[in-house]
Amino acid sequence: MQRTMRVLVVEDEKKVAKALREGLEAEHYDVRVASSGEEGFFLVNHEAFDCVVLDLMLPQRDGIEVLTTLRKRGLPTPVLILTAKDTIDDRVRGLDSGADDYLVKPFAIPELLARIRALLRRGRPDQILKLHLDDLQMDLMTRTVTRGGQAIDLTVKEFEVLEYLLRHLGHVVSREMLTRDVWRIAARATPFDNVIDVTIARLRRKIDDPFPTKLLHTVRGAGFVLRRGRG
Amino acid sequence: MKLTVPTVRARLTLWHAAVLAIIVCLFSAGTLLFVRVRLYRALDEQIAQDLATIEKVYREETGDLGELDHRMGLTLFEVAEGPTVIYRTASWPPPTTKPYRMRTITDATHRVSVARDETSVRQTLWTLTTVFALGIPCALGLAVAGGYILAGRVLAPVGAMAETARRITAESLSARLPADNPRDEFGRLAGVFNETLSRLEAAFEQLRRFTADASHELRTPLTSLRSIGEVALHRSLTIQEYRDVVASMLEEVDRLTRLVENLLLLTRAEAGRIPMTRTVVNLSELVANIADNLRVLADEKDQAWSVDAAEPVTAACDAGILRQGVTNLVYNAIKYTPDKGVIRIATRRDPAGDAVIEVQDTGPGIAAAHRERIFERFYRVDDARSRESGGVGLGLAIARWAVEANAGRIELESDEGRGTLFRIVLPAS
Repeated sequence: MQRTMRVLVVEDEKKVAKALREGLEAEHYDVRVASSGEEGFFLVNHEAFDCVVLDLMLPQRDGIEVLTTLRKRGLPTPVLILTAKDTIDDRVRGLDSGADDYLVKPFAIPELLARIRALLRRGRPDQILKLHLDDLQMDLMTRTVTRGGQAIDLTVKEFEVLEYLLRHLGHVVSREMLTRDVWRIAARATPFDNVIDVTIARLRRKIDDPFPTKLLHTVRGAGFVLRRGRG
Repeated sequence: MKLTVPTVRARLTLWHAAVLAIIVCLFSAGTLLFVRVRLYRALDEQIAQDLATIEKVYREETGDLGELDHRMGLTLFEVAEGPTVIYRTASWPPPTTKPYRMRTITDATHRVSVARDETSVRQTLWTLTTVFALGIPCALGLAVAGGYILAGRVLAPVGAMAETARRITAESLSARLPADNPRDEFGRLAGVFNETLSRLEAAFEQLRRFTADASHELRTPLTSLRSIGEVALHRSLTIQEYRDVVASMLEEVDRLTRLVENLLLLTRAEAGRIPMTRTVVNLSELVANIADNLRVLADEKDQAWSVDAAEPVTAACDAGILRQGVTNLVYNAIKYTPDKGVIRIATRRDPAGDAVIEVQDTGPGIAAAHRERIFERFYRVDDARSRESGGVGLGLAIARWAVEANAGRIELESDEGRGTLFRIVLPAS
């Protein structure tokens, strides 16, 4: 049994803070919320956290300032910053101050959860060569996919999407995450949702349609999830 | 009292007057000096003649000295030998009531002195001085007045221009400055100003339209969000129905987010706040990759797909920004071309050495009336249809920016009913 991971959320916007808390708690994290830079700074200094989610625009004490001070004191906890400003300058400033990752507002909760998982996983070797769900098997070495022992022929992109979904097994993957991580397109303005929808539909045709149990589900308004049973 | 900077008109007049005053004063002083020298020289010549006559008479017939008085009109002279006065006219020495000019020649034996009245010389000089002293200020006064009026006339167009310009605000940018003669200095100034006004007017008009369009586009998803939420709150729904409501709201949020992203991108682009990293990019690779990504969409519509990007073509540009532009063009081509249509994408180098990317479709084409405006933000050829297919009307605006930011140009050829060809031309690297 793994111990519960503790996450500190430093966010002054009450509604956002509440949504973050609930989203994280649904994933079984132990969540503390600080509504100002001061409070966040105090909590980090007095309690141990596995990860900090830090908003950059904070009253009293700017997020960057908090982060810089914490890093100067040698705090090793991974920090994910949230910012409404997505100009390169702000990102660079954030990462230079010691942030491990950043998310631009408005962000999707599934994406935040994925980033936090990635931060917590960091440092551990990722040598998985086989992924599976139920009777769906993926071999990353031979780049083959089978379901119920039947080989399934996938295109390169379909394979990558399936791999991404398998790596986020049970978690919702948003279209934005797929655009950025699978298609490697950074620009948020690029029209890509249709491409993703079509690719998912084709993937579903190959891995789900011939079988009674459906694994790939669409979560309307949020994205896609790979799991046994209904979506 | 506050010292204000004098107007151009006053300054012109003052300068003009000052220069004129200096010239007139110098001229008058010169004239006075010249006249004075000439008059005194004439007087001195007379005196010299007198002396010569007296001298001659004295040498030849000393006794006749007395006759000089009434014969020659020499009324003021004295001849002396040492301390002894030989002859002296009745009125010698000259009276002090009037100014006299006196000259004496002396040699070893005798001394001759002559005096002449110089009142008339002095009077002439005095009169002249008076005329100058009175005349110069009058002339200067006239010059100042005339100069002021003239300067006013010359500068009148500036005043008129300023008055018109003052009345021009963001609401009345269509007004133009008057220019009587477009080729003179003021005319050219007005011309330049009017050109600026035209550009401003166009920019404001664009901004106004953009703001109206943007608010419309932003309000639509907001309205949906609100009504979906309100309606759901007023009814009792099953969990599944609530899920549908939330999902529907999230879809609207997605639409809103995409719109805001696009708007922000364009706004930043226009403010020049998007950093460009130019490198030598293999356009063929870039285009092939974009085509690869979007091909599934064409396949879904059973469109014939041809990508001719085998030859490597390079250009110096920002790959990320150019990618957005080309993606939008290809995306549009697929979107507007009916099922079983043809999409052709090609890269090549034209004879001038410029890199060319072509995206051609067999869609409905673009009518000539729309061709100019198709790249404008939110401009749509067919409003209802485009909206239905999920576009926000910014794709081509972004495409044009992406190309122009890379120093290229975007061209459009279209046969209504037969299809459209978009051509990106990037200067040779």
